[in-house]
Amino acid sequence: MNRRSFFSSLIALGAAAPILSSAKPASAEDEFFIFIHGTGGWDVTLWADPRNERRGIIDPATTLNTDTGLVRLWQDQTLDDDEQTFKIVQPAGCKIPFGPGIGKLVEHADRLTVINGLAMNTVSHPDGTAFSATGRHLVGGRVATSSIDTMIANELGRDRTFPIVSVSFPSSFVGDGLDRRVVPLRVGSINAITRVLARSEKWETMADRDAVTALLSAEARELASRSHHPDVLEGMAVQYDALRKMLGGELQQVFAPGALRNAQSGFDYKARFGRDHAINAAFAVEAMKRNLVRCVGFTLGGFDTHQTNYKNQAAIQQDTFDCVADLVRALDAAPHPTRAGHKLSEHTHILVMSEFCRTPQINVNGGRDHYPNNSALVISPRFKGNLVFGKADSEQLLPANAKAFALGPRPIAPPDVLATFLSAFGIDHGRYVRDGEVVPELLA
Amino acid sequence: MKRVLLAAVVSITACFGARTPEVVPSVPVASLPGHDRLAVDTSPKEGLRMVPPEAYVRTYLQLFGGLAPLAVQKKAKGGDGAQLFDAWSDYLATLGFPDDKQDLPRATQTNALMVATFERLGAALCDRAVENDLRSKKPLAERVVFAFEGEAKDEASFTTRFDVLHRTFLGYPEKLAPGRAARFYKLFTDTVARHQKDVKPKLAPEETGWAVVCEGLIRHPEFHLY
Repeated sequence: MNRRSFFSSLIALGAAAPILSSAKPASAEDEFFIFIHGTGGWDVTLWADPRNERRGIIDPATTLNTDTGLVRLWQDQTLDDDEQTFKIVQPAGCKIPFGPGIGKLVEHADRLTVINGLAMNTVSHPDGTAFSATGRHLVGGRVATSSIDTMIANELGRDRTFPIVSVSFPSSFVGDGLDRRVVPLRVGSINAITRVLARSEKWETMADRDAVTALLSAEARELASRSHHPDVLEGMAVQYDALRKMLGGELQQVFAPGALRNAQSGFDYKARFGRDHAINAAFAVEAMKRNLVRCVGFTLGGFDTHQTNYKNQAAIQQDTFDCVADLVRALDAAPHPTRAGHKLSEHTHILVMSEFCRTPQINVNGGRDHYPNNSALVISPRFKGNLVFGKADSEQLLPANAKAFALGPRPIAPPDVLATFLSAFGIDHGRYVRDGEVVPELLA
Repeated sequence: MKRVLLAAVVSITACFGARTPEVVPSVPVASLPGHDRLAVDTSPKEGLRMVPPEAYVRTYLQLFGGLAPLAVQKKAKGGDGAQLFDAWSDYLATLGFPDDKQDLPRATQTNALMVATFERLGAALCDRAVENDLRSKKPLAERVVFAFEGEAKDEASFTTRFDVLHRTFLGYPEKLAPGRAARFYKLFTDTVARHQKDVKPKLAPEETGWAVVCEGLIRHPEFHLY
């Protein structure tokens, strides 16, 4: 190849690059996403990275610091004369050693991808939350980029009535090249949506309200056509159109807690530590069954146990992962809205994260504080199931090198998880995640 | 020394003997070659932003008669079981207020749910304003929203009344928004026609027409963006 032909092929490749990067597998159009934030920072030694020996600075959970009566999978194992710790939970065929906090999610071990030893480099709640959800640390207290649900919806969810419904999930909409249709609908509870969508029929009719909304949509477009900065107005026009769909389809029922409880009776709405969370999971299933959403994000847990409330950590984890197991079961039972003969679970991808983990040592108050290590969980047909990737060291629970990345060996970090998650759906991760590197070992 | 003196004399002579600077006469910019069609860039340099939720609620309270939030809530709810309004606490998060209890940050962009909330609140304000202003036959000076009288028999009389609402909600005369009065007139007449066929007990057809026009203005993009 001479120099001229080399440069012409380079130019041709450059021209093709945007096309190649924007090409997505057609199947990604039918996928759904659930993002779960375990709030407060969980103790990974009780589920994903179980530790039941005193080694280095590690104080394992024992009968003295944990209320074991609530934890179904806790089986005593002698630690020393007056303390019992737990036996590792690892049923036959399961390659992942779990702690007793995993609850009934262990029954779905063949679908679980556990990532351990995530390097968080932070022990601050807001920073850890942002780092897990966006792959970037906070910049001057502000979120530096969009969260994973916004990234996904911007590529795959623009046409949905609700591209993102975020119930207290740390969703953010920051950066260039984002479609305003995917601005996350952030609410504190599903019930808040019900209230907002309620309409009185005693005054104006549905037709009256719809006529006003249609007029406003046209007004917004007309103003946009004359504006130097049309994107905000165009976005508002799209939102008026979305409102027409929302109110025209009697969607209030999808958001009504009572109706959700009836439709999804398999969730434990009376769980000791997760009664308010199950309704969010039920909403996710019902909204996906109707093909209304692309991404649903919500929170579970309440793991911030610095004091004697650490006694409940294992039970809180159990309720959390029980809820995730119920979610998987409900998705198994639900038909896919557009793919005949397919289950919803075959096309739904769940990412469970937290802001960091808790210290390996028990503090003077009987609790555990913040620690810059972490674990994450993926349940997705596009990820290898029954797999644990990454590790923390045996004596200090700090992230250890997971593999040789492009710049050498290092622990895995949240940007790598997010980049891998995006790449699983053919999305150019470089467009959204500045620092991440795809980890092919995680992908099916 | 002689040389220094000579140099000083020469430089002083040069200074005082210099010609006065040429005075360039001023001319209109357009007369300069290539400047006859010079565009002046008066475009706004920043995109539209959402009105902060505090400003929205303050304006809403003023339009409701300058009442306190709880008084507005009570009046909007009414005792007629119309379910026009629930409680402010139900709307704060969807209006974009930060919620420290739920760890929700301030919203800086509108979204579909916020637009739905604007509709819910707008309907409550306009329906109650119809009751308070149009129905009660209060003197014009005491009216907050519908500060006009008489029926809108044709487009011209509608436009006169629409201008009052337009100035109240959007802050400028409707003439500056060409075509808008005609579009709202169509909305008004269509609504009236619909309700003449199927009369709702709460409002007369023309009252419903005005309520709908009011909703169109309080939910207008220009009301929410600046």
